[in-house]
Amino acid sequence: MTQAFARSSKQTFDRLSNPAGGHSHPSCASPRSNSLFLHLMKATMQRNTSTLLTSLTACALAIGTQTMQAQTSATPLPATIKIVSSLPRTGSANAQTTSMVNGIRMALTEVGGKVHGVEVLYEDWDDASPQRGNWDPAIEAANADKGIADSMVVAYIGTYNSGAAKVSMPKLNAAGLAMVSPGNTYPGLTKPGTGEANEPMVYRPSGSINYFRVVPTDDVQGFVAAEFAKSLNATKVFVLHDRELYGKGIADVFNASAKALGMEVVAFDGLDTKAANYKAIATKIKQSKAEVVFYGGTTQTNAAQLAKDLLAQKVDAKLIVPDGCFEEAFIKAAGANALEGRCFITFGGVEPKLLGGKGQVFYENYKRLYGKEPEAYAAYGYEAAKVVLTAMERAAEAGSLSRAAVLKEIAATKDFSGALGNWSFDANGDTTNKVMSVNTVKDGKFETVKVVGS
Amino acid sequence: MFEWFDSDVLLQQLLLGLSNGMIIALIALGYTMVYGIIELINFAHGDLFMLGSFLALTLVGVAMNCGIVDPELMGASSHWWLLGTLVLVCGVFCGGLNLCIDHFAYKPLRRASKLSQLVAAIGVSFIIVNVGLFWGGLPMDILGGGGAAAAPKDFPHLVSDTNLLGEESFVVMTWNDVVIFVVTIPLMIALTLFVKFTKLGMAMRATAQHATAARLMGVDVNKVIAATFAIGGFLGGAASVLYANYNSTVSFQMGFRAGMDAFTAAVLGGIGSLPGAMLGGLLIGLVRAMSDQYVGSEWTNVVVFSLLVLILIFRPTGLLGLKQREKV
Amino acid sequence: MSQSPSTVHRPAGLLSRGQCILFGALLALPLLELVFDLGISAPTRFVLGFAIVGIGLNVVVGFTGLLHLGIAAFMAIGAYAFAILTCTIYPFQIGFWPGLLAALLIGAVAGAFLGAPTLRLRGDYLAIVTLGFGEIVQDLLKNLELITKGTQGINPLPTPWFFGATFASDTPKSWYFLYLGILLACTMLVRNLEHSRIGRQWFAVREDELAARCMAIRPDRVKLTALAVGAGLAAVGGALLASLISSTGEPGNYDFQISILALCIVIVGGIGSLTGVIVGALVMVGMNSILLPMLGQKLQQAGIGTTTSVYLAPDNYKYLLFGLALVLMMRFKPKGIVAAKEEDH
Repeated sequence: MTQAFARSSKQTFDRLSNPAGGHSHPSCASPRSNSLFLHLMKATMQRNTSTLLTSLTACALAIGTQTMQAQTSATPLPATIKIVSSLPRTGSANAQTTSMVNGIRMALTEVGGKVHGVEVLYEDWDDASPQRGNWDPAIEAANADKGIADSMVVAYIGTYNSGAAKVSMPKLNAAGLAMVSPGNTYPGLTKPGTGEANEPMVYRPSGSINYFRVVPTDDVQGFVAAEFAKSLNATKVFVLHDRELYGKGIADVFNASAKALGMEVVAFDGLDTKAANYKAIATKIKQSKAEVVFYGGTTQTNAAQLAKDLLAQKVDAKLIVPDGCFEEAFIKAAGANALEGRCFITFGGVEPKLLGGKGQVFYENYKRLYGKEPEAYAAYGYEAAKVVLTAMERAAEAGSLSRAAVLKEIAATKDFSGALGNWSFDANGDTTNKVMSVNTVKDGKFETVKVVGS
Repeated sequence: MFEWFDSDVLLQQLLLGLSNGMIIALIALGYTMVYGIIELINFAHGDLFMLGSFLALTLVGVAMNCGIVDPELMGASSHWWLLGTLVLVCGVFCGGLNLCIDHFAYKPLRRASKLSQLVAAIGVSFIIVNVGLFWGGLPMDILGGGGAAAAPKDFPHLVSDTNLLGEESFVVMTWNDVVIFVVTIPLMIALTLFVKFTKLGMAMRATAQHATAARLMGVDVNKVIAATFAIGGFLGGAASVLYANYNSTVSFQMGFRAGMDAFTAAVLGGIGSLPGAMLGGLLIGLVRAMSDQYVGSEWTNVVVFSLLVLILIFRPTGLLGLKQREKV
Repeated sequence: MSQSPSTVHRPAGLLSRGQCILFGALLALPLLELVFDLGISAPTRFVLGFAIVGIGLNVVVGFTGLLHLGIAAFMAIGAYAFAILTCTIYPFQIGFWPGLLAALLIGAVAGAFLGAPTLRLRGDYLAIVTLGFGEIVQDLLKNLELITKGTQGINPLPTPWFFGATFASDTPKSWYFLYLGILLACTMLVRNLEHSRIGRQWFAVREDELAARCMAIRPDRVKLTALAVGAGLAAVGGALLASLISSTGEPGNYDFQISILALCIVIVGGIGSLTGVIVGALVMVGMNSILLPMLGQKLQQAGIGTTTSVYLAPDNYKYLLFGLALVLMMRFKPKGIVAAKEEDH
């Protein structure tokens, strides 16, 4: 039923925005006349008593927007609309998700909490439970259900963990609700041929795409990491992972890339992420005489401990870790000593303070608003919200803030000039932004050593 | 590349296993004592241990900020007196806290089933984790100037980390290893002597054997239980300083794994038995190190627990546990 | 002891009065939603899944008195057995109901397999072995990538069907009623076992193993059946929960914390009481996945907790609330919310 609704409203929208029937980009001139008409409509509405407006909206919400959609182009925009985020707020990922939520709130504040005169509410949902101290599949599923059931919700920002996305993606897809992730980097979620054979179609029961991400994927990042290892003149690499979806995935890519680049992978092993220390593994690394250690893991899966134990056991090998460690907390946890000149962190994008154009504005505003340097994750959260809000603005201009309309506009995001640069969503829903940076730590702060692709 | 037998590697792994095992053993003692007296698997013990390390981190931060120790010298020279003070202070802190927890959470449940006490202990462990989450934020905000309460925190080395065997040696042994033995072994000896020869120790053993009979013989069972919690907590607090110094990390979630390892050690050695807990801790430390080296770290948990099951099949009451007599 | 004639000859009936009231209330819950917009029947499906796990664990911990700390392993075995036998990426694809039945059987066999070598162990030594088994299973699922897809998890899983009606992800109410029906079936099954010969043997072993032996009961066999029944039901619960999210999730999702949650369900609800276990699932899982999220949402809507301070974010109090609830419930209801009737056993 929801699918049918999505389809019918899509047709309505097509008719609405483009009476001629041809396909045109929303920013083109043709829908302008429509939006002007809608402006007039809205002005008329606003002159009526506000009670009428609210009761109308309530009515619309109660009956469901379907009937309203089926009517003529005179669909009134609702008074309020909602976007939600579903990120692990309880437990160890709290630091990163807090910076993401800060970014989202900031994007919302920048537009004054409104798109096209419609008030936008934002709710920050937790997909973790105290029981698990991490994302909880039951809660992520419940969040997705809750988002689908709440007709005010038009966009779902999330998730942080790729594993959690696997749970909510098919649900939201069937319901035609747009989902924009500020954190998932597992390639199989969108790219055919990079994960399991049935990926990514298994996440798209409706056949169309509703999932987008503003972060480059691990297949790009893992290769950049391997190339960087090669540039350090490594001949032997020791590959470790945290035995979770993200960490194992990127370690697999690194493993294959390293072999392809002619390096010898002396071991491929999974760590016990709750272990007190990795001194025994550090000893094994020392014995293997590997020049580079790659760890597919995050700050929460104890990457900092590994860095410390390499130093404590006097192992000379350089450590390369992926973007899950690109945060202040990693330096704090490992101590600058264990990282300076010894550890390299790859990241899809560049450090916020190196961002150009709008990124610089974001950087300055964030610092002013929150009184500290933005983390890399804050920019992801900000960008995800910004994409959603911009798409909503366009959809509202074109006359509808239905889920289908917002989804269509998000998918149409092209040459978006945001904090992370100038990029578009490709046919899979991935960002075309492929800028990668390799960073190290100097004087207790991240320092970019290399930027790849732009 | 990986020679199966390399004496340097073996030596190093033995040393690491012993160091890790000693810390586990010290925590396991707290488990096994409480279990011996009131048959409660004290799930909150690991988290109590976590709070001890947080206190240590805060105190080190204060010491550095007040100029008592020079932050530049951390890891370069040894601060023995600071380490000693921390072991004592954190020990007393954890002991006292354990006493309070017993008083408010477990004592009202003495007559209820053992399982209700177990759930209360699980509840306490969640509460302590939350305290740790907030604590992790506060002193760091004041002293270290950063938020990120949930992230693990770096703990400075209190003793020198230069290699005692010479910079060229493959095997690394620093004062960080030595200090574990220097603190743990005397504590274990003192505990054994205390339980064997003092009046309170004897009362403990009597209560462990049969609480009602002990009460009839004039033992103040409540006092004995309180003392057990205090001593167990003290050992946990002491272990927390050693752990923080050895791994140089503290995190509000670290209590869980430490607790599980210690519980496993206590059962492996024979729950209720003090030498058993020590032996169990050492064995787990050694098996983990050997498995990381020779089997692969992704199989380490499987190796440890399979060994545990095997040992218990052949010795159903643990390595040094007394054979339980069927009640008649 | 339960061997008194009055207990033996008393007909068990299909459900006790408390169970009737509880199931009546659960049946009415979605109807209530027609009037009030609560949005809770969707998350309550998870409660129903965990209630089945709780009922299974109750057979082991409550009826037979064996402390089991690794029930999550059997949920994992159930979920993975179900997934491997039904998912389209494997050749079997036997469908929802046969898959569920297979999960039950495979879970039960695994439970017995664990039980066999550990029957000599008593009390908390058994607890640590079950805990160890939980860790071993989780690691095997992670490491045996060729069979289990490792960290990937297995998806998609088939949705249930019932007399021609198939269930889509946007119809939570029909799922709800189906799961409630399965929970009812499990409750009646265990209630029947409880009042049968084997149930009385479980109680006998729990109360006094030696005395039971004297009455010609073989404690080994009795314990083994309890472990098998408990594991089988936990496997069904695991399979149902996996079907709900259409994925087994990562193996790490079946860790010790979940075993602890299941144990809390049994003890908080009322150990040994089937009504109690279901109430316990409502309280514990409900708190985790309905109450705490709802509380956070309401506070946000009231404008609280939108600052960046660690101390003002409601989410940061979840551990405290959860822990406090456990401690207080044990303090004032040490036998659980619904205490089992003493005279029954």
